[in-house]
Amino acid sequence: MTKDTIVLGLGNPLMGDEGIGVKLIEILQSASGDFPGADFVDAGTGGMTLLHLLAGRRKAIIIDCAFMGEPPGTIRRFTPEEVRTVKELAHVSLHEVDILNVIALARQLGECPEEIVFFGIEPESIEQRMALSETLGGRLKEYTEAISGELAAR
Amino acid sequence: MSKNIDINVHHITRVEGHGNIHVNVTNGTIEKCEWQVPEAPRFFEAMVRGRRWDDIQTIVSRICGICSITHSLAATKAVEDALGVEVSEQADKLRILMHYSEQLQSHVLHVGYLVAPDLFRAPSVVPLVSKATEAVKTIIRVHRVANRWSDLLAGRTTHPTTLIPGGLTQIPKAQQLRELQETLKATVADLITICEVVLSVADKFPAFERETEYVSLKLDNPPTYTFYHGDITSTDCNGEGPVPIQQWESVANEYVHPQSTAKWTKWHRDSYAVGALARFNNNAELLSPLGKKVADMFGLKKGNCNPFMNSVAQLAETAHVVETSIQLIDDLLTKGLKDEKVKVTPRAGRGSGCVEAPRGILFHTYEFDKDGNCVAANICIPTNQNHANIQKDFEKFVPEFMDRGQDELRLGLEMLVRSYDPCISCSTHMLNVEFVK
Repeated sequence: MTKDTIVLGLGNPLMGDEGIGVKLIEILQSASGDFPGADFVDAGTGGMTLLHLLAGRRKAIIIDCAFMGEPPGTIRRFTPEEVRTVKELAHVSLHEVDILNVIALARQLGECPEEIVFFGIEPESIEQRMALSETLGGRLKEYTEAISGELAAR
Repeated sequence: MSKNIDINVHHITRVEGHGNIHVNVTNGTIEKCEWQVPEAPRFFEAMVRGRRWDDIQTIVSRICGICSITHSLAATKAVEDALGVEVSEQADKLRILMHYSEQLQSHVLHVGYLVAPDLFRAPSVVPLVSKATEAVKTIIRVHRVANRWSDLLAGRTTHPTTLIPGGLTQIPKAQQLRELQETLKATVADLITICEVVLSVADKFPAFERETEYVSLKLDNPPTYTFYHGDITSTDCNGEGPVPIQQWESVANEYVHPQSTAKWTKWHRDSYAVGALARFNNNAELLSPLGKKVADMFGLKKGNCNPFMNSVAQLAETAHVVETSIQLIDDLLTKGLKDEKVKVTPRAGRGSGCVEAPRGILFHTYEFDKDGNCVAANICIPTNQNHANIQKDFEKFVPEFMDRGQDELRLGLEMLVRSYDPCISCSTHMLNVEFVK
């Protein structure tokens, strides 16, 4: 059965800090017993698949690596209304989907969760390696506590 | 007539991957006409070196969020080839069923979310919702079916967890397959609706043809419209036997072109195309009845050389994979599902795996030491194989369509690139935002 809340970790663990969302889901999943009302999903770089993961939920928490102009390692909570994308898309490929566009589509279709919260984490390095930078890797506890706090506050 | 044209579509995503279109025409003379792309992520080859034989498919599934099942399958097959592992008939069929789910997912997404907005002259799928609400909802419904289908077979929609050299770590229950079969039967009507919607605007596909070599898998025994088994063939083979997949490097003939940092490929001529139209042009007579019906709706015939028809071939394939899967589930259920143990003994060896990604033929090769650790890898993705062909199309398209003016020409070139369903910048996708509140 679909649970009330979905926590989505986005990113690619082969690309250094780009994988922070996936890493945090892995950690949160191991403590998922504390949050019976939430599903924790490693959504990788699944693009439009997110549309289906959002459908039928009351709340979505999305964890992703984000360029926000903050110092590397900073975690910031925000809602879709608080930001606008400055990503340039070529619109030639299915592979460059922007989650903010997916949310816009979900809204138009009337199947968007009533509450969406992002946790953006500013990367230090996006490069081809299967590990986080020390900056992000050293702050995992802080990140999971922020997300757990959001889940507990519902 | 427009004597001067300056098209410079320059899109850069933050880390890797951009597709640039450059066209300059001065006083009616074409001075520049280029499709430029940087190297696709070859670094994955370095990442798998030193990894165990049973880690490879998990790592490479992250190469692409859209073709993750296909990459995992190609890697799994390559490992099995290297280590001499046999796969049971049941595992083979379940993998094919899994692979079909990704074809449906990707094709519906491509036609519905990228091609349809072009045909309806909408900037993207979001504004298309108000223009063609029911059509978009139908597309999303089918995409959702395909995603759940992947979940069932692959463990989750993207980046599969059930694949392992030798077989599968988890198989669906008979009841789940029965339910999937019922869902697929019910999806046929939606697929036909999508085809009818696309047909209603099919006159917007540019009338453009260029004689092209088409490369895909081919399977003669038994004759199959194949995505998973078989050898490599091309429309230029002229009766020569297909090439074994282990020799794919002699088909791709990768080379460096000064125009692009991505390697280009060529076989019998300067370029070749891969993808749904390539598969169709090599195997059309083997499509399922419903697949043939869809091709007939659009008048798509074997030998078609209009690259825009790749999207139509994708539609025919969506019908084919759904209809074939309904039959495949019957076969599996008739034989009864069994829990199978997988046993693999590592050994030194080199092996190749080749499958059809939704966007074309994909090659993986790995070499292992005696303990089953990877010592070398080589991957050639379909999008790289299409780059030279896109360039050749540009060179014919620009002079034929430049009379229509800069905006029409630009849209035509963008549609042309999109028709190949390329995989660009898919390994990263992070948010890039500024705060407005």
